[in-house]
Amino acid sequence: MNTANILLIERGLVKLIKNPSAPIMGFGMSLFFLLVYNAGIGGIGSMEAFGAGGYLSFVFPITIISLAMGSSAGAGQTLNADMQSGYFKRLYLSPAPRWILVVAPMLADTISSMAFTILLIAIGATFGVSFQFGLLSVLGILLLSFLWSLTLCGFSAGIMLRTGQYQSAAIVTNAVFPLLFLSTTFLPRELITAKWLLAISWGNPVTYILEGNRFLLAGTSSASFFYIGLLIFSITSVVSVTFALRSAKKIKV
Amino acid sequence: MIAEIQIQELFKKYPKGTEALKGVSLEIQKGQFFTLLGPNGAGKSTLVQILTTLINKDSGSFSIAGLNPEANQSRIQKMIGVASQDNEIDPTEKVENLLVFQCRLFGLTKPEASKRANELTQLFELDKERSKKAGALSGGNKRRLHCALALVHRPRILFLDEPTVGMDPVARANFWEVITQLNTQEPVTVFLTTQYLDEADKHATEMALIIAGEIKYSGTIIGFKKMVNPNGVMSLDDSYLQFVKTVSNPETSKN
Ligand SMILES: Nc1ncnc2c1ncn2[C@@H]1O[C@H](COP(=O)(O)OP(=O)(O)O)[C@@H](O)[C@H]1O
Ligand SMILES: [Mg+2]
Repeated sequence: MNTANILLIERGLVKLIKNPSAPIMGFGMSLFFLLVYNAGIGGIGSMEAFGAGGYLSFVFPITIISLAMGSSAGAGQTLNADMQSGYFKRLYLSPAPRWILVVAPMLADTISSMAFTILLIAIGATFGVSFQFGLLSVLGILLLSFLWSLTLCGFSAGIMLRTGQYQSAAIVTNAVFPLLFLSTTFLPRELITAKWLLAISWGNPVTYILEGNRFLLAGTSSASFFYIGLLIFSITSVVSVTFALRSAKKIKV
Repeated sequence: MIAEIQIQELFKKYPKGTEALKGVSLEIQKGQFFTLLGPNGAGKSTLVQILTTLINKDSGSFSIAGLNPEANQSRIQKMIGVASQDNEIDPTEKVENLLVFQCRLFGLTKPEASKRANELTQLFELDKERSKKAGALSGGNKRRLHCALALVHRPRILFLDEPTVGMDPVARANFWEVITQLNTQEPVTVFLTTQYLDEADKHATEMALIIAGEIKYSGTIIGFKKMVNPNGVMSLDDSYLQFVKTVSNPETSKN
């Protein structure tokens, strides 16, 4: 990769490290979820439906999903600061290829989201979350999270570039938020009585990360969720990154 | 030989309906010190932004150093230095870091970059400010930094859009010393827009006058003065005022 690209990704990461409030808040929120869900409803984990991993392993995926969301709400914080200050134009007037100006901060956001996901996985493991394929499970979870993060960050960045307003990055997070709960988030499919919720859950892409992760964790869901999840989010990642790049052409500088 | 900056029939209309450029054609030769004059809202910045590929034209064509900038983005950026009308600085970074980073973006190695950053801080009298955050600089020094950032890669063409706004007289004199030296020694082609006509008169030789998106005059400054007032000797300022009064209608003088 050329030097300008590396410099810009580096800069994105350094900026995040200097001002990590978004990813840290995302992380704090996830940790909080993990604690309160487990404390509040963890008792039902002795039921057979939760498998050997108990409720903690069952509810763990939602914390991973919300972690990526927290980070992507702050996604493009560098991009936005640069647009506000006009510095983005200065970068635009450099020989760096223009796509990297958009991709670099997105990658930085995604990389930071991954770092916190690893931390969360480590914490989960110490509290007894089970990973049925060991390291492979961890890699699988990271892969799904990466695609999920990239999807969110790409749409956020794209919308921001098109509107020229940094507040609009949160549109994506807000739009996606309900999806977290329109799924088999807290209870396994067998225990959900509302037919409409079950129906919606099949069409909700979040279901496939949730259950895909559950397959990798305690094995309470089938492998097909994981593969469908990979497929869906590979596609959405491509769409989202393409959207972000196309937005760079329509940029309001 | 093709001009260093060649512009043919450029049109630009903003989405909100303002027709900013209505068929602008200009030729600026290599090494010239050219200034584009015109009232606020005449389309000067729009033209600069199109030439530097920050925004797209609607129709027409232009070339810089014989290249089509839209198809040679990265090559063109290495040739031109741009100080836009609004400052383009990251306020959270230190002056020195901004300069070094900009040098590195243009392909200078680390040692080269810090050497160049040093030169520029000295040239623009920013030595004392180098470890300050850019956001903490005075208005004039921000402007100096903004212009210094345009020079990191020793461009052969400089676009300066109202560069001296906010600089005190000393800073301004220092700035022109740097620019005229580049223009006479390297020689760097200068494309300047300014509202300070004394500056234009003193440093530039060629000019164009744009009003409401149309070029009303292009040629030498001396020629312009003669055209406006064939007998007497008037300053550029007075010639400009007299000329604008005669050609403008109320529509163009607003904004
Ligand atoms: N981003 C924009 N959107 C809509 N109209 C614009 C925009 N930028 C400039 N204009 C309009 O285009 C005209 C030319 O503006 P500009 O090129 O900035 O003039 P100048 O630099 O000569 O003062 C003005 O009428 C201005 O209001
Ligand atoms: Mg202007």
